[in-house]
Amino acid sequence: MSSAERRFARNPRWMDRFWAVVKYELLWNIRKKKFLGMLIVAFALSTVTLALPVIFSSFANISIGQNPNFVVGGGGIGGLMFFLFALVTVMNTISGEFESGTIVLLLTKPVSRTMVFLGKLFAAFLTLLATYTVLYVYMAIGGTIVYGPQNNLHLLPINLFGSILSTFVWVSIVLAIGSLSKSSMIVAIGAVAIFLALFIGAPIVSMFSEQAWVLTYVPGNGASGYIKGLGSQTPYTPGMAVSTGTDNIASNLINYILYPSANVTFFNISTLPRTSPQWIELSTEPLSIFLLRSLMVATTYIAVFAFIAWYAFRRAQVLE
Amino acid sequence: MEPAIETINLTKRYGSLTAVNKLNLKVERNTVHGFLGPNGAGKTTTIKVLVGLLKADGGTVKVLGQEVRGDRPDVRLRIGYMPELPKFPKHLKGSELLDIYGKMCGMTPKERKEQIPKLLEMVGLKGRERDFVGKYSKGMQQRLGIAQALLNEPELVILDEPSLGLDPVGMVEVRELMKEVAKEGVTVFLSSHLLFEVEQICSHVTIIHRGVSVASDTLENVSNKLSGPTILEVEVAELSDAIVGAIKELPFVSNVWQENKRLIIEIKSRDDVRSQVSQAITKAGGIIVSMNWRGKSLEEVFMQLVTKS
Repeated sequence: MSSAERRFARNPRWMDRFWAVVKYELLWNIRKKKFLGMLIVAFALSTVTLALPVIFSSFANISIGQNPNFVVGGGGIGGLMFFLFALVTVMNTISGEFESGTIVLLLTKPVSRTMVFLGKLFAAFLTLLATYTVLYVYMAIGGTIVYGPQNNLHLLPINLFGSILSTFVWVSIVLAIGSLSKSSMIVAIGAVAIFLALFIGAPIVSMFSEQAWVLTYVPGNGASGYIKGLGSQTPYTPGMAVSTGTDNIASNLINYILYPSANVTFFNISTLPRTSPQWIELSTEPLSIFLLRSLMVATTYIAVFAFIAWYAFRRAQVLE
Repeated sequence: MEPAIETINLTKRYGSLTAVNKLNLKVERNTVHGFLGPNGAGKTTTIKVLVGLLKADGGTVKVLGQEVRGDRPDVRLRIGYMPELPKFPKHLKGSELLDIYGKMCGMTPKERKEQIPKLLEMVGLKGRERDFVGKYSKGMQQRLGIAQALLNEPELVILDEPSLGLDPVGMVEVRELMKEVAKEGVTVFLSSHLLFEVEQICSHVTIIHRGVSVASDTLENVSNKLSGPTILEVEVAELSDAIVGAIKELPFVSNVWQENKRLIIEIKSRDDVRSQVSQAITKAGGIIVSMNWRGKSLEEVFMQLVTKS
């Protein structure tokens, strides 16, 4: 077959080209030094989380109590890790290509810009899925060794799904900043500024204003409520603490599966010197509504920011 | 058959600066078309509009008969493009990169397995394909740029300064490669600031200055129109009617004058015909004392056009 005949016979399938973009991006993600560094840090922190109780208990000469809910009940990845993994995974995904000039060859290949964008997004998903899976399996094994047999390990995939959804809120924000600015520096500064503003601002809003409900609708840790009858009920905690916000989807999903008919109560805490806090009930709602709202807030953020990122990427002109 | 490239009143502005101003460009199929212009003339901007990296502010752009408006992967499937000083993702190995680009072009595993080693050998990167691109020298990256542009066996190859960063041997190799590619029926659109390069491999040329096309035709016509016919001056030891007759019979000669012992020969072609002229004079019994060209090179033509406009 001549080259001209081969050319005309060539009918590239969407899926083949999409996978080519995914492979291109995936290799970049896993070979990035920043990402490898982040992975090492995550493993180190997980190891510290597991090892510290062992070290302290051996010094204090007391045995570690069994905690069958360690893995599913909170031994996972937290808000800061979601943000850092998102930042490191997609910080350069779009802006880095423009800065280094590699976007020129990528966008002149027979793949649409939408396909490039989706391929990059999917590669980020696969990278996070692989990373979190390894981390959760590591924590499950470590948790079993340290705290004894674990309950509800079958819910780990739910934990994984929730964690990825939480991380994708930050992924879409970081991508949108990158797509609009085309500068990795602006991405890093902008994303860290937003994270810190929410991280510092949320407790201030919660403490000094009566408008803590706002936190339900911003990325991050959200507003706290309590499920009465679960967890320890002391003057300082009227039950098991749960949070709205986009960082807590995994734990909210698991709580809903374990306690589907539970209610969440929000309080206003009044504290006076040398007295126990006064808990004034504000509102109560079913856990299902509580969960649904956090899911909707997260998916709305992902959809809106991913759309902004896609639109800016599609319209971007390559000047350099 | 529609031209490989056609722009009608193509305009591109960067703020208040008009980089390309109502450019009309036509590149016929199966030609090697040179795109010349000084720095900032609008060559790279024009090429970026052709390959979809920039959006035109006005006019029409057609590539291989299809209008380029918006994102057109179907058009890009039929073209190969090499930017000026191509930048590759450093995290990929040479062969990995070509394999991924091949997949994006819809090449089957068998096609990629055949085509990639062939291209790597052709551009002189055989043995280095397993190295990360980040370790490649500028010249090697330039060679990889050529390989990726030819990977999908395109109908049209657009090359922006392909010799930039290459050593003299590499430059010659690239020129030979372009000639080979053109022989296979591929249209080559080549932007270059190296006039001798264009002169050696292009059949057609467009000269652009300040975003406007100042000349576009076959290389021969552009040169002839601007510099008049090429003149060859030959001084002989003894001039005779037999020598003049022999020269007049040569097919590429349009006119001959005599000035003392000198022959002023007007040549129709831009080919180097000195050996044929020399042979004809010797056969007619003449002895050549000296032989000089009195024609304008492409460089002179280019300078004339650019200075004038």
